[in-house]
Amino acid sequence: MIGNVELTIDRWDIFCAVVDNFGDIGTCWRLARQLVTEHEASVRLWVDNLESFVVLCPQAVVDVAAQVIESIEIRHWTPDFPDVDAADVVIEAFGCTIPDNYVAKMAWRDPAPVWINLEYLSAEAWVEDCHLARSPLSRLPLSKTFFFPGFTASTGGLLCEQGLLAERAAFDQDEADAFLRRLGVPLATAELRVSMFCYDNPALGKLLTEWNSGPSPIRVLVSPGAATRQAADWFGNHLQPGTVLTRNSLTVQALPFLSQSDYDRLLWSCDVNFVRGEDSFVRAQWAQQPFVWQIYPQSADTHLVKLDAFLTRFLGETTEMPAVRNCWHAWNGAGDIRAAWSDFAANRRRIQQHGKVWASQLDRTGNLADNLVRLVRGN
Amino acid sequence: MSVKLAGELQSGNVIIVENSPVVVLKAQYNKSGRNAAVVKLRLKNLMTGRISEPIYKADEKLEGVMLEKKPCTYSYYAPPAHVFVDEEFNQYEIDAETLGDIEKFLTPDMTDVCEVTFYEGRPISVVLPKTIIREIEYTEPVARGDTSGKITKSAILKDTKHELQVSAFVEIGDKIEIDTETGEFKRRCT
Repeated sequence: MIGNVELTIDRWDIFCAVVDNFGDIGTCWRLARQLVTEHEASVRLWVDNLESFVVLCPQAVVDVAAQVIESIEIRHWTPDFPDVDAADVVIEAFGCTIPDNYVAKMAWRDPAPVWINLEYLSAEAWVEDCHLARSPLSRLPLSKTFFFPGFTASTGGLLCEQGLLAERAAFDQDEADAFLRRLGVPLATAELRVSMFCYDNPALGKLLTEWNSGPSPIRVLVSPGAATRQAADWFGNHLQPGTVLTRNSLTVQALPFLSQSDYDRLLWSCDVNFVRGEDSFVRAQWAQQPFVWQIYPQSADTHLVKLDAFLTRFLGETTEMPAVRNCWHAWNGAGDIRAAWSDFAANRRRIQQHGKVWASQLDRTGNLADNLVRLVRGN
Repeated sequence: MSVKLAGELQSGNVIIVENSPVVVLKAQYNKSGRNAAVVKLRLKNLMTGRISEPIYKADEKLEGVMLEKKPCTYSYYAPPAHVFVDEEFNQYEIDAETLGDIEKFLTPDMTDVCEVTFYEGRPISVVLPKTIIREIEYTEPVARGDTSGKITKSAILKDTKHELQVSAFVEIGDKIEIDTETGEFKRRCT
């Protein structure tokens, strides 16, 4: 419990500023749903870019100030922020800046709301030191608490819905086949099935070339956006959802934007998953299939430090899996992806086994929404 | 009021946190994500002396403090405070806790000009000149021979009775230079 707030059914405001892509809103939407369905919270989600939200949640409407979806009040966060009461718990996601008039309302509340700054995910050691640190303001009687997602018990953990791992375990070949059929993916058992979700990445073209000339058939299911665009460039052809292009051993199939639930099933149904950023990266870990992570690029190559920090946690002390390290480095611009891929593919079974152990270990650290609620409610 | 971004803070900056002036003792930066950064600060509350370690987003705006500084000289000890006087003969009482480490160098006859820092008219710190001269009241004699200064011994300062290490050639009644930032003996005055 922070401050004097003792609540069971509480009102939460989550503020989400969409910087780019779908990571911010994807995480906030996932958290909001978990708070409502698993913790009986009343949630208002403020989003500054409803166009991004509608892609994730097609039943939403772009030009509406307020709408309720799945028992969550979705509010369009505009510069002329309305005069609303502050909630019991306020989450500012990923360092977004809450409107001044709302902060003033928070300061008037007695007791003050619990104010959480939900930070980015990192495996670096300093995160443990900063998790739950206070951030008091200069003059107003308010203090934020930094909440860092992470991979250890000294952090806030990762988002994981109750029952997700059981659902994953129960997802058998029949369900995978049915899901793939729904996406229009043929059930060719001889093909290696790869999902591809990435930022602009010069290594993708090289990898497509490698797959094109490889001895075994590969089907790459590309997500909309950068992956589809780069695959289309490589083929010199147009790609839109449903389009299938084949050259030698390589088949690329463009997917539509999938719901979060369907994206999970895609990860569960593929032999290898290429993921990016934060949300899909976490989901790939729960999927327990071999995956390759493209980390969000940062200035001064800070992202490479973060990449290695995760690899160190993920692989532990083992030196037996250079295939993972080499492939991830190459995918992030530090190495030859064609050579690294061959080694990664050859070790796929071992990597998969390691992924299962890793997911089980993560599960034991507790999930982010539970940890957040426990912090707020003090139980 | 001046505004300071948390990401620009350095050791020695004074800001307002929870309505109190705090001095930044240490600032440590970490990149979080999307090129955002967080800053972990080690702060000392200038009113209470309490140490805290909050963190801030690098773009968090904090209220900076413009502190007033005045040259003052030490006047006398009026328990539990020491009294300093400015150029206009205004007197300021400063307690030992606020003085911190410099109390051991305060003597009734000292003429050193100190820099006193004020927050809202209240003295919150005193800085001595970088070098001060004090007299040795007692030290053990040493055998003749080594005058290199590499061998040290204990000595006690006049008035304050503060003990420090000096070169072996220093004798009772000598005046020595002391570095007030380190509290260490620098050299014997000629």
